[in-house]
Amino acid sequence: MTSTTSSPLPAVERREPSAARAGRSTRRRVRKDLLRSRIAAWSAVVVIGAFGLLPVYWLLATALSTPESVFRFPPKLIPTDLTLANFTALAENDQLIKYMINSLIVASITAVLSVVVATYMGYSFSKFRYRGRRSLMHLVLASQMFPQALLLVTLYAVFSSFGMLNTYTALVLSFTTFTMPLCVWMLKGIFDTVPDALLEAASIDGASRWRTLHSIVAPLAAPGMIAAGLFAFVRGWNDFIFALTLADKEKQTLPPGLVSTYIGEFQTAWPQLMAASLVVSVPVVVAFMFLQRYLVGGMTAGSVKS
Amino acid sequence: MSTAAPRQKEPPPRRRTEGRLSNGAFAVLLTAPGLALFAAIIFYPLLSAVFTGFFKQDLRLPGREFVGLDNFAYWLDGDFLTILKQTLVFTVGATLVPFVIGFALALALNTGLRGSGFLRGLFLFPWVIPGVVVSFLWMWIFNANYGVLNGVLVKSGLIDESVAWLGQPGTAMLAVIVTKTWASFPWMMVMLLAGLQTVPKELHEAASMDGAGAVRRFFAVTWPQVRGVASIVLLLEFIWNFQHFDTIYVLTGGGPAGTTETFATAVYQTAFNGFDIGRATALGGLWMLLLLLLVAAYLRITERKGDA
Amino acid sequence: MTTSGISRRGALRMFGIGALGVAGAGVLGACAPSGAGSASGGGDTKSKDFDFTSWSLNEEAARPSIEKIIKAWEKAENSTIRAVSYPYNEYLSQLTLKLGGGETTGAVHLDIAWLAAMAQMGKLADLGSVAGSGGYTDVALKSGVYDGKQYGLPWNTGSIGVIANAHLLQKAGIKKHPVTVEEFEDALRELKGLGGGVVPYAAATKVAQLKDIFPWMQTFGCTLFDGGKVTIGDDASVDAVTWYKKLHDRKLIAADVDRFDARALFGQGKAAFYDDAIIGKGVTSAQSKDTTLAGAMQPMERPVLKAGDTPRALLWGGVIAIVKGRGQDAATEFALHTTTDRDTTSAYFAARALPPSTTAGLAAPEVAKDTFTTEWTEKITRTASGSPFWQFAQSAQIDEAVAKQVQAVLVGRAKPKDAMRKAGEEVSALIKR
Repeated sequence: MTSTTSSPLPAVERREPSAARAGRSTRRRVRKDLLRSRIAAWSAVVVIGAFGLLPVYWLLATALSTPESVFRFPPKLIPTDLTLANFTALAENDQLIKYMINSLIVASITAVLSVVVATYMGYSFSKFRYRGRRSLMHLVLASQMFPQALLLVTLYAVFSSFGMLNTYTALVLSFTTFTMPLCVWMLKGIFDTVPDALLEAASIDGASRWRTLHSIVAPLAAPGMIAAGLFAFVRGWNDFIFALTLADKEKQTLPPGLVSTYIGEFQTAWPQLMAASLVVSVPVVVAFMFLQRYLVGGMTAGSVKS
Repeated sequence: MSTAAPRQKEPPPRRRTEGRLSNGAFAVLLTAPGLALFAAIIFYPLLSAVFTGFFKQDLRLPGREFVGLDNFAYWLDGDFLTILKQTLVFTVGATLVPFVIGFALALALNTGLRGSGFLRGLFLFPWVIPGVVVSFLWMWIFNANYGVLNGVLVKSGLIDESVAWLGQPGTAMLAVIVTKTWASFPWMMVMLLAGLQTVPKELHEAASMDGAGAVRRFFAVTWPQVRGVASIVLLLEFIWNFQHFDTIYVLTGGGPAGTTETFATAVYQTAFNGFDIGRATALGGLWMLLLLLLVAAYLRITERKGDA
Repeated sequence: MTTSGISRRGALRMFGIGALGVAGAGVLGACAPSGAGSASGGGDTKSKDFDFTSWSLNEEAARPSIEKIIKAWEKAENSTIRAVSYPYNEYLSQLTLKLGGGETTGAVHLDIAWLAAMAQMGKLADLGSVAGSGGYTDVALKSGVYDGKQYGLPWNTGSIGVIANAHLLQKAGIKKHPVTVEEFEDALRELKGLGGGVVPYAAATKVAQLKDIFPWMQTFGCTLFDGGKVTIGDDASVDAVTWYKKLHDRKLIAADVDRFDARALFGQGKAAFYDDAIIGKGVTSAQSKDTTLAGAMQPMERPVLKAGDTPRALLWGGVIAIVKGRGQDAATEFALHTTTDRDTTSAYFAARALPPSTTAGLAAPEVAKDTFTTEWTEKITRTASGSPFWQFAQSAQIDEAVAKQVQAVLVGRAKPKDAMRKAGEEVSALIKR
């Protein structure tokens, strides 16, 4: 919470002379320390790297194997008869492509809706003081904790009675239940970093409150908004439970789509399933690589300083 | 609604509707779309669900019958404690293990290893890919008959015979936690790394020159700096895991013999496989009650910190 | 502001907002699935286009032949059929949700075990007027009846029985199929001795297909349901489960196996026996790279407790039901054509080794001279009976409740006696609900 960057620096300076006096031996110890920490760091990276990345290797290796070759025990750790057939089979699968398009549509709309709504709400929470603000804020934050599975039971009934099952609207609305609270939280954090003085200056310059928000604050907060949107997109892209229950084949997204495509016979279709999994992951991974910086910035903006 | 002093200065009266709204009213107006959405898709369904818990109702059939506390009694006399215990084991395990791993990795990457930016990106892969894919992948790794884990362990002589990881009570929960850990440690690593990067290097050097060992340096310098991020990361992950569904549903479906059943899978399966939405929502209601305690604790903590 | 003040206000506000939501969205009761009433009967019953929902469309071995039927119909009738599928293990719950939500129309493929559950939703058409013209066998026709009404046109009627791999039996020196449970157990031990990761009997141990335990319970003398009373929990059922547990502990059956795992194991030549419907031959041999496997698959009478007992088997079959509403008439025609047209059923049999449900279809030479089919009918279907629980809408829940208790025994979480008593109580409660 308290900003610590300013106070310790003088302390360092104060200690400087003593370090100099200690002379070479200290420097040697520091160097030894450095070496030791390097070794520790590399071993941590290697061990955790094995845990983190070997499964990815196995995903890739299985996806490149022929259907029969995976039914061997013990399995060959380095597959020899490589094939791309599993991937070409996917390209011919129209249904999977349809699932992917549905995923893109639903996750994108969810992201935009969540960010727009959360921008106004987060701005209100961050820059204004009024009665009930804090209770509202807490309520929004706490709503992340509300059990999705329980929510789903009634959402299903509500959408059913309005004839809205199997529509993009139902999916977007249900995804919003878990993306919006987090977006509000992230964006409030972003707006907290915009100095009040800027708003005052804008106000003195005669900018209306709407204009201040839209043309002065929003551009400043753009990276944060992108981050929030990306986060909402990834969560929407990855959702399983809502899409499984609320949508049919026509409107279903990839995760439940994969389940219904492969789970009936997944025992035999491991290579294909792994290939499909890999392909499904590509869009998010690519999106992520480009926007990683924003995402990390946005997620940590509200929390790191507190 | 608009009495407390706004931080913004009251702007001079100006064009059209602008002047007619007080700052407070403006602020409330900003929250209106969000609140409407919240009311419609979160609060109403939740309240309605809690209400449904008092009825006997079949998802497939119209009509319902008031049964008082029967549905609640069904759970409290039955599996409630088991499910609670399993949910807690999963939640605590799937929160702490990735936290420790993520923290260790963040510390390692923060020492300025060559290529740490690239490594950070690489490690994010498991977090970004869809949860269902994660479950598929581990389901294949843990496969009882052809899985690579059994293959490696048997080959290296650590076990004599393949283990049905997902088919045995003890190992199934472990497998589920490992899977969830794999999917969430990268996110924790990124957050903690961002926190670590705010710690000035000079602090470390100074402490090192003072002769502080690595462990002491960690607790004296590093930990106080990242405590804020750490607690938020832990809290969020705890909340998410408490209602996590995908991994368990795909990997074990709550089995074997219900030993990986959590609130999320039990509510879902009661409602959508058993079609008994009275009992499903009753269990959900009990779950909510527990969550409210958590929320209260959360509010108390954040209040004491006096957040802005 | 004090902490308690805030949380109290927060709570109050939450209620306020909740009330707002209630007022906005209508009375709480409105969230009952009113779709149940409104969706059926809607839409143009004369539409030429309709949906066809079947789990088989999800299975590699079955999809091409069903797609062929669909394509042919589309071409002949100049109409469009939307093909929908869910995996078998998810089928009942997904179909129920989609039917309840009014999304499912047209023709739906149902396992005869699910007919009661689907029919009681009130959305299926009574096909009594058309079924008579189909020339179905009596047994088949009866499998589509619930509550006195013909809700399904029988597509395939058969049974679930034990399939043996003759190659493996030969390798283990087993000359003839074991007749009694005791002989069966000896055979399993011999097979285990072959090593190489052979699972002697790839019996179901996952909840999804643990209902396969029912014929074993019957073999041990439990009637399951008798005179309006659930008999699960009696000594015979406990004996059956104790025996199953013994096989499990001696690794004669494997943990974590469902029908699909079993087929994979059998297809790889790693299992000597497994339970499947007659459909199993087509599915399992199609996914095996061993081309001689199909010839080695033999239907086997389920072992009995004492020589001379009647072997038990579960009736199995699929029917096509029609959802009231859009495309109802054309879908009915399609269902009738699919299940009764001689050329169609024969082609389907050729592709899937799945015998038809009509007298004429069964008499077709390619069906009548197929030894696997005739042997199957003689050894297994002849003594097969339906589950007494099929008459209840909760039959899937009943299967699951028992399966969970059996699994608890297998993994060592419960004693057979306690588990079966509990299973019996749960089933009784489910029947009453």
